[in-house]
Amino acid sequence: MKKLKSAIVGCGAIAREHLTALAELNNVEVVALCDLSAARAEATSERFGIGKYYTSYQSLLDEVHPDLVHITTPPSSHFPIANACLSAGLNVICEKPITIEYTDFCVLRELAAKKQSMLIENQQLRFHSSVLHIRDLISNGELGEVLDVQILVAVHAPAGSPYVDLNAPHFSLSLRGGMIGDFLPHIAYLMHIFIGPVSELRTLWSKRVVDSPLPADEFRAIIMGERATGHVTFSANAQPGGFWLKVIGTRMQAEANLFELPRLTFRRFRSGEPALMSLVDGIVESKDGLKGAVASFWNKLGGVGSYDGMTEMMTRIYRAIEMKEPQPISLEEIDEVARLVDRFTKPEFKL
Amino acid sequence: MRILVSGANGFLGQQVVKRLLERGYSVRALIRPSASEPAEWRGKVDIFRADLRVNADLVLAFDGIDAVIHAAAATSGSEDSQFASSVVATERFLDAMVRSSVKRLIHVSSLVVYDWARAKGTMDENTPLESDMYVMGPYAIAKIWQERVVSRYAAAHHWDLTIMRPGFIWGSQHAAIAGMGRKFGRIYLLFGPTTRLPLSHVVNCADCIVAALECPRAIGQSFNVVDGDDIRVWRYAREYANRTREGGLFLPVPYRLGLGIAKLASMTSRIFFGKKGKLPSLLAARRFESQFKPVRFSNQKVMETLKWNPPLDFASCLEATYSDRR
Repeated sequence: MKKLKSAIVGCGAIAREHLTALAELNNVEVVALCDLSAARAEATSERFGIGKYYTSYQSLLDEVHPDLVHITTPPSSHFPIANACLSAGLNVICEKPITIEYTDFCVLRELAAKKQSMLIENQQLRFHSSVLHIRDLISNGELGEVLDVQILVAVHAPAGSPYVDLNAPHFSLSLRGGMIGDFLPHIAYLMHIFIGPVSELRTLWSKRVVDSPLPADEFRAIIMGERATGHVTFSANAQPGGFWLKVIGTRMQAEANLFELPRLTFRRFRSGEPALMSLVDGIVESKDGLKGAVASFWNKLGGVGSYDGMTEMMTRIYRAIEMKEPQPISLEEIDEVARLVDRFTKPEFKL
Repeated sequence: MRILVSGANGFLGQQVVKRLLERGYSVRALIRPSASEPAEWRGKVDIFRADLRVNADLVLAFDGIDAVIHAAAATSGSEDSQFASSVVATERFLDAMVRSSVKRLIHVSSLVVYDWARAKGTMDENTPLESDMYVMGPYAIAKIWQERVVSRYAAAHHWDLTIMRPGFIWGSQHAAIAGMGRKFGRIYLLFGPTTRLPLSHVVNCADCIVAALECPRAIGQSFNVVDGDDIRVWRYAREYANRTREGGLFLPVPYRLGLGIAKLASMTSRIFFGKKGKLPSLLAARRFESQFKPVRFSNQKVMETLKWNPPLDFASCLEATYSDRR
C-alpha cells in the first residue's frame, strides 16, 4: 500500500505530539521535517527515524512534495509558512491559533479554496474521547437539550513558568491576551460545537499579579449561542490545573477534565425517592470518578496525557486525503472559530 | 587574558568566575537579562547580558576575548525546554563565536554522556559514550547533544577544544545530589548504600576547569572531573542529613534489587505502551543505572595531564558546603 507523505515544520514540544500520533497511523510516512535549529531538526529526525531534515521550510517544500504539511512553529510564523505551502498546492494542518490576525486567516482561506487544498487548524480536543462521548449523549437524546456549557481552564503560571519568563519571552506573548490567547482557540471551538454560532458575548479581562509580563492572567466570558449559553473562566492563578468542560442538558449534566482522560462524570435525572436517588447519584459519580482517575494514571504511564484527540484527528484528516473527501473540520467551522477568538480579544466586547 | 564565561551566574559559573579572578584573568560574564549580578563582581567583572535561547547578536560578547568557558546549560525542566536552553542555545552561542577570532573553548559537559550500561569496573575517558540517548532523561539527552554540537563546531572551525565532564557537582545550597537516592518525607531511600560517588565539589570543579584553560596539553582532550571516589552513598547521605538537620529513616536498597524493579517496570511499560511509555527516572532501567551504578571513577587522566589535585579534601568540602547552616 502506498503511504501518504507528511512533513513537519517546527520541531518543538507540540511537534512531538504530532509525530507520536502519526506513528500510530499505518497509512502515513513522515518523510521530512524542518527546524531553524539544525540540532533540534536532526535530533527529532533521529528520534523518530525520519529520513530528511531541513533548516529552511522553503528548501523542504522545494524538494519534498508531502500530502500534508504540519505547521508546528510559534504562531507568528504560521501565516508565511501556511501561505507558502498553500501556494505550492499543498494541504496544511496548522497549530492553533491558525493566525494571529483574523484578516490573515481570510487570506489563507481564500488561497486554500482557490488551490483546492486543505487548510485545517489543530483542534484536537474536538476529538477528545470525553468530548466525543458527550456529543454521542447529545445526539442519542440521553443528555436532552443543551442549556449551558461551562469551561474552566486553570493553568498556573507562577514566577519561573515559561509563560512569564522575562529572559526568553514565551511565544504566546505575541498573541492578544498572551497565554490566555494561546488557549482561546480550544475554548472557542468547544463552545461552537455545543452552543452553535455566537450572537452575543461579553468578556472580562483582568490582572491579579501586577508585575508579571502577562497582559492578563484572568479571563471571563459569557456567551449567547444559537442553541445555548456559555460561560468561560480562565485562570493563571487557580490550582490545581485542569481543563474542565461541563455540559448542562435538560436530562443530564456531563463534566470532563480534558487535561486528563477519560475523567468524565455524569449526573442524570432519576425519578424516584429523592434521598435514595441522591445516594445512587453519589455512588455512580464516585465510580465514574475512580474509573477515570485510574484510567488517567494508566494513560499518563502510556504517554497519552492531554493530547488524547490528536490521533483521532490525524486519522480523520489522512483518511479524507486518501479518500479525496472534504476536510474533517470544514473551513467554515474554522472561520467561525477564528472569528470567535478575534471577538474574545476585541475591546468592544469587554464588559 | 580575557575570558568569556557563559552561564556565569549559575552554580558552577559563579565559582569559575571567582577562580578566574583569583588567577588574575580579566572576565566577561554572560548572564541572563533579568539575572542579578553578584555583589563581589562589581567593578571586577565585565557583564554581557543576553539569553542564548533568544535570537540576538551575540558576536559582541566575543569582542576582545581570548578564550571561552561554556558553562551555560539547563539542569531542570522538560526535555524540550532543556534542549532549547542547552543545545539550541549552544548553537546560537557558537554561531557567534564562528564570527569572532576566538579559537580556545572549554566546554563543561557531564559524566551523563557516557554509556553507563557499558561501564565496567572503572569509568574513565575510554568508557563508550551513550549511543541510545533517547531512552535517557531530558538532562542526559541535552548534555549529549550539547557535547555533539560543540565537538562538530570545533572540528569544522579548527578550534582548540577541551571538554570537561564533571560528576555530581555539589556545594553550598546544592548538596542534594541524585546519586544519594531519594527522600520521601522523612525516609531516605539509598540505592546501593556502599556505592562510590563521582563527587566534584564546585570549588574543586572550577579550579580544574581553570587548570585546563591554562594547560596547553589539555587542547583536544576530554577529562572526567571528579575529586576521587572514596566517598560512598551512605556517608554522603549521613553527612547531608546531619548537617542540614533533615534527619530521617535511612532505608538501604541493594542496587541489584532497585535495578531489577526498574527493569521489570521498563519491560512492563514496553509491553503495554511500546516506545510511548513514560516512567519516572527511578523506574526507567537505563536512567536508574546512570544515577546509581556501582563502578569506580578514575581521575587519573586529569591529574596526570593537568598536574591537578583537588584543592579541597572531603572534610574541607563539607565545611565549605555547610558552614552557612550553623
